[in-house]
Amino acid sequence: MALTFFRGVQTRPLLSYPSIYFALRKHNVSYCNMQNTQLETTERQEGQLKGSTREIHSKPHDKLLKDFEAVIGIETHVQLSTQTKAFCSCPYNYGAAPNTSICPVCMGLPGALPVLNSKVIEAAVKVGLALNCSLSLDSKFDRKQYFYPDLPKGYQISQFDVPIASSGSLDVDLPVEYGGGHRRFGITRVHMEEDAGKLLHTGSGNYSQVDLNRAGVPLLEIVSEPDMRTGIEAAEYAAEIQRLVRYLDVSNGNMQEGSLRCDVNISVRPTGQQEFGTKVEIKNLNSFSSVSRAIDYEISRQVDLHTQGLADQIVQETRLWEEGSQKTITMRKKEGLADYRYFPEPDLPGVTLSEEYINSIGSSLPELPETKRRRYENMGLSMQDVLFLANDITVAKFFDATIAGGADVKLAANWIMGDIAAYMKNAKVSISDIKLSSEELCELIASIKGGTISGKMGKEILFELMAKGGTVKGLIKDKDLVQIVDPVEIEKIVDKVLADNPKQLEQYRGGKTKLQGFFAGQVMKESKGKANPKLLNQILLQKLNATS
Amino acid sequence: MANRALNLLRASTTVVPITTRRSSFLSPNIWSPRTVEVKQRRSKRSYSTSSLEPPDVSRLAETARISLSPEEVEEFGPKIRQVIDWFGKLQDVDLQSVEPAIRADTEGDNIRDDIPETFPNREAIIATIPNFEDSYIKVPKVLNKE
Repeated sequence: MALTFFRGVQTRPLLSYPSIYFALRKHNVSYCNMQNTQLETTERQEGQLKGSTREIHSKPHDKLLKDFEAVIGIETHVQLSTQTKAFCSCPYNYGAAPNTSICPVCMGLPGALPVLNSKVIEAAVKVGLALNCSLSLDSKFDRKQYFYPDLPKGYQISQFDVPIASSGSLDVDLPVEYGGGHRRFGITRVHMEEDAGKLLHTGSGNYSQVDLNRAGVPLLEIVSEPDMRTGIEAAEYAAEIQRLVRYLDVSNGNMQEGSLRCDVNISVRPTGQQEFGTKVEIKNLNSFSSVSRAIDYEISRQVDLHTQGLADQIVQETRLWEEGSQKTITMRKKEGLADYRYFPEPDLPGVTLSEEYINSIGSSLPELPETKRRRYENMGLSMQDVLFLANDITVAKFFDATIAGGADVKLAANWIMGDIAAYMKNAKVSISDIKLSSEELCELIASIKGGTISGKMGKEILFELMAKGGTVKGLIKDKDLVQIVDPVEIEKIVDKVLADNPKQLEQYRGGKTKLQGFFAGQVMKESKGKANPKLLNQILLQKLNATS
Repeated sequence: MANRALNLLRASTTVVPITTRRSSFLSPNIWSPRTVEVKQRRSKRSYSTSSLEPPDVSRLAETARISLSPEEVEEFGPKIRQVIDWFGKLQDVDLQSVEPAIRADTEGDNIRDDIPETFPNREAIIATIPNFEDSYIKVPKVLNKE
């Protein structure tokens, strides 16, 4: 007990965030229509976007907004997709029957001792390196004490004064619809900790229910510098964190399941004022668009209070984002600093990393989203294409495999972003669910480019490939779709069509040259759509204009 | 015990560049003189416990969720103070030539592979839960932390 006190006396305080301030830019402050953004991930439900076009607050005057500056920082909790919990071997499966994945360690029973899962360190090092952080070769775990029914031990094992990674950065490309642009946001720290259980509040009745399956599941907390200025920037930062953890395969990054949770810190102050505004924390943000809308709402709310001379009504508090009313509401007011009485976790040894270990992880890192985007950009793809393709790791892998097979970059991008994306959206499947392989897409593109089949036929085949599978060659053969590129063959058909339509031929030669289209259509019909259009037109024109 | 405590103390004095940090582990009204004092200690490396203020027992009890009567508060104050002073003797150790350590030394890493194992006797754990209903632990309604 006394040790606790001593330790407490001499260790450092809760992290205080350095702040960077900036002016709000008027064009994207208060309205947020997320409908076109690239932020959504493939599993996003359509319905979620509905209603997002709604105006979220009374329209603030641009002039007023220009008079204020906002500071936004984000704390992200990433649930690691390990097989077992952080400090015990309990399996963790989302959606398992309540209170089935428990043991003396995660239940906090006396005498049970935690043992760290090696995968947690691996994930932390991966994320730390991917975020350009400095890694601590010696870090440790600390106890963060608080009383709450979802926390069986009465403390959370976390990292306090020596996080495993710190001082990094994250590069982000803003969506093209919002003017695009590249941003680099600072990362304050990344640390390892365990999750708490899940509390369910029953509608009626004066009790709550606790499920401790999640208690002890490993998390990484990623804290950003307060470098963001707008809801869009914050949402894109969060989306990039999601991309990063998915690329690294350390988490499924699923916001709906709570595998990726964002808490936003936001303050507003009059432009030019030296002191920071009062910081408000927003929770319950379970989609990127809610991150963006909640922030824009909160900026408006705080600016309104400032302009009405009611700035003192902005208090340090935690607010909840209400999806229904599109507003933030007070959850709890903070009365002074929370007293977590951190001290080093005596049941766990320190966490030591060797240079070799870090190097081996570093050299096994996959290509990260930012690197991928720059590479795609250098291939000559438009930013819209780049952002789409790199957004989802499975799509990016499919695209990479397709072009690795020799497919034309732009054509591959067009097929994936056009017909393939439309099909996936319609059938609500991901690119790994469709039966089309990257090899076949490559073959398809080559077949069209080589003239074996027309683009139109290609489309036809594509849908069949996606739905039923098979090969391009097989389908071309089965459907007898090989394009007619033999001029003699086409000439024969043209001759037949001209012979069958003497009247029209006469009219054409009498000056009604518009009839060329009619003839072209007839020839195409006669060839069952297989005549090469270019050759067809060439030969047709020759024949039509022939003197005899 | 004392050795372990010594390690912890060593650790804390070295990990933390104390100059700009305010004590927030314990809120200031429990151990208020920390800011200045820790800084001095750091620079002088001479430790003394004599300046520790008496603990705010009521607040300590509150943070530990222990109910104490005013009499008990009176009674425990000096006792806690005594324990702290006793451990405070560690502050007299000269650490001038000692390498900092953030944790007590242990033999090698103690980590495990990520292989799931279901605890066999979960029923026994569930059986000790005072209020268990419909697969959930039943607790008084809580909406806000703190």
